[in-house]
Amino acid sequence: MNLDQLKKLKEKAQQQVTLREGGKKYRVVVSMGTSGIAAGAREVMTTMLDEIDKRGIDSVEVAVTGEIGMVDAEPMVRVEEAGGEQTTYAKVDQAVAKKIVSEHLEKGKKVEGSAVGRAKGQE
Amino acid sequence: MFEELSLHVLDIAMNSLAAGAKRVEIAVVESQRHDFLILRVRDNGCGMDAATLARVLDQRTTSKKSRKKNIGLGLAMLRQTCEMCGGHFHVRSAPGQGTSVTASMRLGHVDRPPLGDLNSTILALCAANENVDVQLKYRTDKEAFQFSSQELHQQEGIKS
Repeated sequence: MNLDQLKKLKEKAQQQVTLREGGKKYRVVVSMGTSGIAAGAREVMTTMLDEIDKRGIDSVEVAVTGEIGMVDAEPMVRVEEAGGEQTTYAKVDQAVAKKIVSEHLEKGKKVEGSAVGRAKGQE
Repeated sequence: MFEELSLHVLDIAMNSLAAGAKRVEIAVVESQRHDFLILRVRDNGCGMDAATLARVLDQRTTSKKSRKKNIGLGLAMLRQTCEMCGGHFHVRSAPGQGTSVTASMRLGHVDRPPLGDLNSTILALCAANENVDVQLKYRTDKEAFQFSSQELHQQEGIKS
C-alpha cells in the first residue's frame, strides 16, 4: 500500500457517489459477509464498478449487503430491476461479473449459466 | 483464512454496519522503525455485552452452533493471524458504547499477510451504507492519509 494508491480512493469513492444519484434502472447488490469476502466478493464488486465505469453505464447503482445465508454459492450478486424483478447470480467470478455488466446491465439480457433463480418482489 | 489484511478489515467493519453504526473509524498504522502494524476498527454501533463478547472471541463457536450465522468466525480468524505474527488482539465493547477492535502484528514477520487493497475495502463499505461515515486514517513513519465518506458527500452537496 502506498500513498499514491490511497489518493485514488477519493476519486473512486466520488465516482460511486455520483453513480448513486437519481432513479436507476438496475440495482446491483453484492453479498459481502465473511463467506462472501473469503470467496472473492470484494474483487467481484470492484470489477463490476470498473466495468460499469469503462462502459459508461449510468443506469446502475451498486450496493453491498451482509451474509444472505447461502455460503456455498458465494460470491453472490443480485440484480434488481426497477420493475421489481430480481435475478440472483451465484459463484460469480470476475469473468462472470464482467459478463453481467456487459449483457444484463447494458443490454438487458440475463446471463443464463450463472443465474440461480428469480423471485418477484422478494427480499 | 483471508489472504489480505484489508479483507479482515472489511469483514470486521461489515459487523460494525450490522451493529447499526453511524460512524466507522478504520486506522492503519505501519511502522518500519518499530516493526509493527496496527489495525483498528472502531464504531459507534450497539456494542456487545460481556457474554456476547466472550462468545465471539471463542473460536469453538462455529457458525453451525450459533443461531446468527458467522458470529465468532471473523474475529477468531483475525486473532489467530495476530498471534501467529507476534502481535496482540483486543476487543473492547459494551452495550450502547460501540465496539473497538485492535489488532497488531510484527510488520516484518514472515507469516504476516500483505495489507492488500485497502481502497476496495473502503469502497465496498461506502457502497454498503451511504449514510454511514466511513473514515480511514493511514499512517506510516513518514506519511499520513485521511479519508471520510461523509466529507465527500458534503463536498458533493456544495457542488450541485
